[in-house]
Amino acid sequence: MTTFAPARMRRTVLEMAYAGSTVHIACAFSIIELLTVLYRHHLRYPNNDPRADGRDYLVLSKGHGVMAQYACMHELGWLKDSHIQSYFKDGTDLKGLSDSRVPGLEVTSGSLGHGFSVGVGIALGLKRKGTDQKVYAIVGDGELNEGPIWEGALVAAHHRLENLMLIVDKNGFQAMGTTDDVLALGDLPAKFSSFGFETLEVDGHDEAAIDAAIRQLWAAGPTKPKALIARTVKGKGVSFMESVNLWHYTRLDPQSFAAAVSELGFPGALK
Amino acid sequence: MREAFSNALVRLALADSKVLLLTGDHGYSLFDAFRKSCPDQYINAGIAEQNMVGMAAGLARVGFRPFVYGLAAFIPIRTVEQIKLDIAHDDLPVVLLGDGAGFVYSHLGTSHQSTEDIACTRAIPQLQVLSPADRFEMTAAMDYAYATNGPVYLRMGKADLGDVHPGPISYLQQGRLLKVCDGQADWPGLIATGSMVRAALDIATSLDLMIWSAPFLKPLNEDDVRAAAQATNGLVTLEEHSVLGGLGAAVTEITSEHQPTRVLRIGLPDRFSEHCGTYAYLLRENGLDTDTVRNRVETFCQLLATNSIALA
Repeated sequence: MTTFAPARMRRTVLEMAYAGSTVHIACAFSIIELLTVLYRHHLRYPNNDPRADGRDYLVLSKGHGVMAQYACMHELGWLKDSHIQSYFKDGTDLKGLSDSRVPGLEVTSGSLGHGFSVGVGIALGLKRKGTDQKVYAIVGDGELNEGPIWEGALVAAHHRLENLMLIVDKNGFQAMGTTDDVLALGDLPAKFSSFGFETLEVDGHDEAAIDAAIRQLWAAGPTKPKALIARTVKGKGVSFMESVNLWHYTRLDPQSFAAAVSELGFPGALK
Repeated sequence: MREAFSNALVRLALADSKVLLLTGDHGYSLFDAFRKSCPDQYINAGIAEQNMVGMAAGLARVGFRPFVYGLAAFIPIRTVEQIKLDIAHDDLPVVLLGDGAGFVYSHLGTSHQSTEDIACTRAIPQLQVLSPADRFEMTAAMDYAYATNGPVYLRMGKADLGDVHPGPISYLQQGRLLKVCDGQADWPGLIATGSMVRAALDIATSLDLMIWSAPFLKPLNEDDVRAAAQATNGLVTLEEHSVLGGLGAAVTEITSEHQPTRVLRIGLPDRFSEHCGTYAYLLRENGLDTDTVRNRVETFCQLLATNSIALA
């Protein structure tokens, strides 16, 4: 079985969102391929243990996309079908934003501009310890409005954190509109390059291209932190959600759930 | 007191290479000894406090013991959310050092003054809040903060007021009050914290008060506060902080539930300081100079003497 199949993970997200009547579907869909490639090819978890000392760190700074990470944790067997089916039920552990008390999630985020700084600290600590562990921090493009991101970028470059990769989910939307309309970000690759990052831009839904870009970044600039600007589509995978910002807030009803599932063309995600 | 702080930090860092000092570009000469003794454990994180606190959480996650230094106006005030979410939520062993609390930066105005930091930090779960009164409490507080292995906010106020204890304190017991002066049981008891313990002792030269120092704002030992209320006639709290949410609030939260008594809370009224001036001037402007405090305590005594309901 191919693990981390994007269509199955999107199906898992839909199952969760429908079971819990939750929002934030579209911002989970935009990072599915990024997570697919990271979990399948890059992240190392000794003994498949989400808390293993020697692990790499995936910091989901844009905590709103957490359902995509739950889907990966389901692929890994860290979450069971029952976790998916009981999402948002009273007394359960999986929240609507990333919570570090859940094994597999490294930071508590959702309030934006936190996770990246924590990731910078983890990377600085690992570098001081002399390990080869790596830190990936996924931030949203809307999240780049937050000041601490840029504080962290200065610090990452100053301390030459070559073990840190910032991945921007550049889906072009934030809560109230497009990033261009709300607070234009300008030329992101140029910005991060000027901050001292080794920077690449990639189609964030092309698995082979993502994998190649990550490898190229790790191979280049040994004293620089890395930035991968991933052009993505908010709501990717379901036509009526794609680039429709309403799906940041909309809950599935039986009709939209059925329509989305049939578009994915993937048999049930649950075992 | 600042020397005691520096000595303790150097001692802890020499004993444990995982101890790191992070500063937001503050503490120019304060860290000379540290930078000389442990240069590799010193990180100037730049004028970027929010990132610095988040980064400290990341360092703690991979086994380091960060001590994060800034002016109290910035650490914790500017970074309350990072302290809540990145550090306290996960019970990470990070010590936050807020220097110059209260009116230390008297001439610089509200930007650099900090009279709301206790209130803001006390409500954050899992975070302990300490406020040492002299060099002996400072040394013990630093040892406690390291040993407790969880999140701590250590408030450092006016540091050159002199000792309140006769000698070193072997160790602090969590939440406990320290008695610094004996007095008469028919007078109010006075509980003070930080810089105001010295002021309380100055007042006690003319008023026969039992005085306790509260090196902990949180937790605050309930039994000790009850015992203080039982041993005296009413309580006075004294702090270089707003009367809202600080020591006075912490004491009355306990007495109101467990040992009802009259409590006079002396601190900064709910206001910003207004004028420029010396530290002594700012205390006067805000009613925290010894003459004003003494007068208020005397008036409180008269009130207690004439109001039998208050003594019930």
